[in-house]
Amino acid sequence: MPDTTEIQDRETKRNLTPYLLIAPVVIYYIIFWLFPVINAVGGSFLSTSLDKGGIFTLANYKAVFKDPIFWQAVINTTIIVIISVTLEFFLAFGLALLINVKFRGSSFFLFLAIIPMSLPAVAVGAMWNSGLATYGWLNSFLIRIGLIDPSNKILFLAGTHFSRMILIILVDAWQVIPFMMIILLSGMQGLQPEMAEAGRVFGGNRWQVLRKITVPMLKQTIITAMILRIIAAIQIWLIIVMIFGFNRLPVLMEQIVLNIDQYMAEEFFRKGMALSVIVAVLVSGVSFIYLKASGAFDDPGSREGDE
Amino acid sequence: MTNNLRRNAGRTMRMTTIYILVSGVAMIIIFPMFFLFSFSLMSDYETYSEWPKPLLPRTSVDYRMDHSGNGNFRLSIWNVSENDWMPFGPEELNRNPDEIKKLSRFLNNYGNTQFSEEEILTAMKLTDQDGFYEFALRKSLIHNYRRFFKLYSGAARSVLQSLYTAGMTIFISVSIGGMAGYAFARYVFKGKNILKLSVLFVRMFPPVAIAIPMVVILGKMGMYDKPVGLSLIYSINQISMNIWITASIFMGIPESLEEAAQVFGTSKTGAFFRVTMPLAVPGLAACAMYSFIYSWNEVINAVILTQFNPTFPVVVYKSLLGANAQVHLIAAGSIAQALPAIIFTLFIRKYILQMWGGVKV
Amino acid sequence: MKKLVIMTALILVVSAFVFAAGEKEMAANAPTRLVVSSRLYSQPGEQQFLIDEVFPAFEKENNCIVMFEILEDDPLLKRAQFQKESGRVTTDVVIAHAGRMAEWIKNDYVVPLPVDQWTDRTFSKAFSTSISANGKTYFAPVGGDVYLMLINKKALPYLPAGADVQDLTWEQYVDWAVAVAKGEGEGKAAVTGVPMKSLIYMYGGMFLSYGGEFPVINSPGAIEGWTLLSKMKDAYTPTVNTYDNVSAPMKTGEAWMTVAHMVRCGDAYQSNPSNYVLAPAPKGPEGIGSIAGTSGFAVTNGAPNEELAIKFVKYMTEPSMAVRVARGTGGFIPPIDEAIDQLGDSIQDEIISKGIMVMTNGVVSGVPGGDYTSWGAVKQVYDDAFQELILKRGAVDVDYLNEAQARINALKK
Repeated sequence: MPDTTEIQDRETKRNLTPYLLIAPVVIYYIIFWLFPVINAVGGSFLSTSLDKGGIFTLANYKAVFKDPIFWQAVINTTIIVIISVTLEFFLAFGLALLINVKFRGSSFFLFLAIIPMSLPAVAVGAMWNSGLATYGWLNSFLIRIGLIDPSNKILFLAGTHFSRMILIILVDAWQVIPFMMIILLSGMQGLQPEMAEAGRVFGGNRWQVLRKITVPMLKQTIITAMILRIIAAIQIWLIIVMIFGFNRLPVLMEQIVLNIDQYMAEEFFRKGMALSVIVAVLVSGVSFIYLKASGAFDDPGSREGDE
Repeated sequence: MTNNLRRNAGRTMRMTTIYILVSGVAMIIIFPMFFLFSFSLMSDYETYSEWPKPLLPRTSVDYRMDHSGNGNFRLSIWNVSENDWMPFGPEELNRNPDEIKKLSRFLNNYGNTQFSEEEILTAMKLTDQDGFYEFALRKSLIHNYRRFFKLYSGAARSVLQSLYTAGMTIFISVSIGGMAGYAFARYVFKGKNILKLSVLFVRMFPPVAIAIPMVVILGKMGMYDKPVGLSLIYSINQISMNIWITASIFMGIPESLEEAAQVFGTSKTGAFFRVTMPLAVPGLAACAMYSFIYSWNEVINAVILTQFNPTFPVVVYKSLLGANAQVHLIAAGSIAQALPAIIFTLFIRKYILQMWGGVKV
Repeated sequence: MKKLVIMTALILVVSAFVFAAGEKEMAANAPTRLVVSSRLYSQPGEQQFLIDEVFPAFEKENNCIVMFEILEDDPLLKRAQFQKESGRVTTDVVIAHAGRMAEWIKNDYVVPLPVDQWTDRTFSKAFSTSISANGKTYFAPVGGDVYLMLINKKALPYLPAGADVQDLTWEQYVDWAVAVAKGEGEGKAAVTGVPMKSLIYMYGGMFLSYGGEFPVINSPGAIEGWTLLSKMKDAYTPTVNTYDNVSAPMKTGEAWMTVAHMVRCGDAYQSNPSNYVLAPAPKGPEGIGSIAGTSGFAVTNGAPNEELAIKFVKYMTEPSMAVRVARGTGGFIPPIDEAIDQLGDSIQDEIISKGIMVMTNGVVSGVPGGDYTSWGAVKQVYDDAFQELILKRGAVDVDYLNEAQARINALKK
């Protein structure tokens, strides 16, 4: 990474180039993303055709906030995000530390770990539906290896609200932990081993070295992994619907899809738009706070020239 | 000496622990996929009527034909889990050609075994002779796959459509994203932080809320049912991803190399293409593969945006619509779809770490 | 590294080449292409039958090619919206489900059919609310369905004394399910428990047999129905909430008895007929009650070949053709009175024969989806009541049902 003074030197000379390089992205996103988004945001403030049609209203937002399922969805989403991100982070971090040691077959293991990410949604749905069912392969397997008795099948899908949530978190973790692990692992491989060794030489034990040296040096990577995961975890919905259907374990994204795509009526559609805006604001708020708190904005690599 | 020994012993211990842990994790990863694969080789009967379900598909099936009284016949199948003969097929069989034809088709579709109409008649004759007739049939392991591909004569063409779409997606998203990634990696400019945040924000707006307007914009541009149109949609997600990845790649390549080239008289652009690009290629290629996987798996938009030129996932999706409660067929279809993506994963595994090496949000 | 680059390049080149070739091939097609997008006949065998034995005569007569494709209702509707908004309609004929027809009509995606000129056919009355609006008929029904009962033979020993599976009352069905649950130690009855699927139809059909009206949830008949069903608290399988169709649990043996859509029953029944008993849905004081669904042909608004499309719909819904298609594809009832008469007693298909029995002798209602702003939301009310009254409390609460009906009324247009 070039150091800061060097960058500032050059900045005056190449004023236009970065903007030219950025231009295609900006144009592309204005056409294919910003227009539809403005459409959606605008639509969320319009009344339905049954209700004088197309005038400014806050009714859609009121409808969202009045809906008890919305609040339940907020709570569920919060719980899922907190548990799943924490769990996934620690598991992925542990795995990454483990694999960071060179061993035979590590590259093959990496390959295995990436496969779940490249599976199509229909495969994931079929896999877990046929697995978690009472007469599914998971129970069959447990019976075949003698862990459970045929008469004591585990009712994976019949549990309480909370156990359903845990199930979803585990199934989701199965698919995304590798992703997190790869980000963390790549960060670790960029670290110089000498640093950690120096720590050991000066009498730190393994745990201290990890906490005081490895983690701080991995800060950027950890922030990246966490923010991508938080955004993705807030948007978990498909696996929930594939296993439990709509409205059984309400979460924010699922409620958006439900209102926009399933009810097929204008009032719900507009409510769904309002919900989308709320969720977008929520997600960006959370990520902004997270980025600010973790200091992502003041790292030298991304410092603004005009500050 | 003893110190050395102890260190060696410690090392061995550690490696053993690592191997145990790694194989445990590998098992957890492989397990669900193994069952899905196993299902794809099984018949309807194996997947649904055996309990506990078999772990591996069978290669042959035992049948038995008896009299059912009043001169008619009935068929049983050997159920391995129950360790017994179980009734299979229609309750009663007679020699009516229609019924026999139906039975032959039934054995093919639900037992994945071939038994022609003449063979059924012979079996009936032998049953009349001995009171019963037992026979074993070879089970076709690839039956589900065959059924799936035979049905959709357009499958081969759609694979090419998919590849073309993926190619365009890679081209669009890597070039546009790569340019921005390069700017983020090499330059400091006004509004950089805001731009970086906006790139992140693109991923935050729920896609379902903007899917239809996005698609309508494309339609008005005349991109309906064309791979290019699809790839433009796919790029929305991929560009933001590629910006991060490429930024990380370019950051990993020292700028001094470019400068050195310029000292020897190359232009700035020349230096970029002759020095930086070749160094960035593995990372970019991995990035491309990533886009490939995404574009290869996408169905929701592709279903709406294509009609005569469906992509492969759309063909899989449509063919599975008829496979209600037939998880073995769904498994075969989804594995057929997943295979290319998995093979590509095999190729990127070496580069994937480099690709994420310095990613910063 | 080199491998990667070469592969990527190769893919690009090959696909570009093939794509170009594909374009040419398309331009060379001379006969008109009639595009039919259907939710019905998704089974491979059904499609094969249509393509091999039904379409060729029409294609020859009109010098056209029928392009038949399968898609679910959701994407079909979305594509229609997209095609209408972007002004590029490419589909000529759609086959949509009765529950969704209101949306097709409401949004002007389809045009009225000249049914007055088709004097040789009478579409079954049960569907008149679905297929038409404002006195015009938009859809020509095809592939009707009703509710049947499917029983795993393992449940037969528990059959209440004196009961006849083929002529069962709802009381007997409920007692039976309860007896099975007691005997086996776990519930063995199934219904689609996943919200917004078909629970409303199964329950609504039952209420019809007690003199109820569809989809009123708190009529005297419905309350009688709920009272009876609430006994089934523990008779449903423990994971009934996750069934989005009952065929899978019926096939694995997780569930032994169900009253369900005839196609779902058929999926399980056909996988091993000797394992199951197929029967009409149970009856109440008013007879067998069932919600009848259907799919229907419609000509899209702005269809490239509108005239030909109308001809095609006419060809496909001719009574003799409907009979041929019903025999060839199996599993569905032709919802055309003349065709049902023609099918008569000569039916071999167990599913169709039971279905016709329910359709012609039962108390049958269509789905008045068009009367409500969101039919999905109406379904949700039933799902909530099922959760609350049956699975949770196991007792009927008339106040709760009145409130639920108020929610349904609020959704009325």
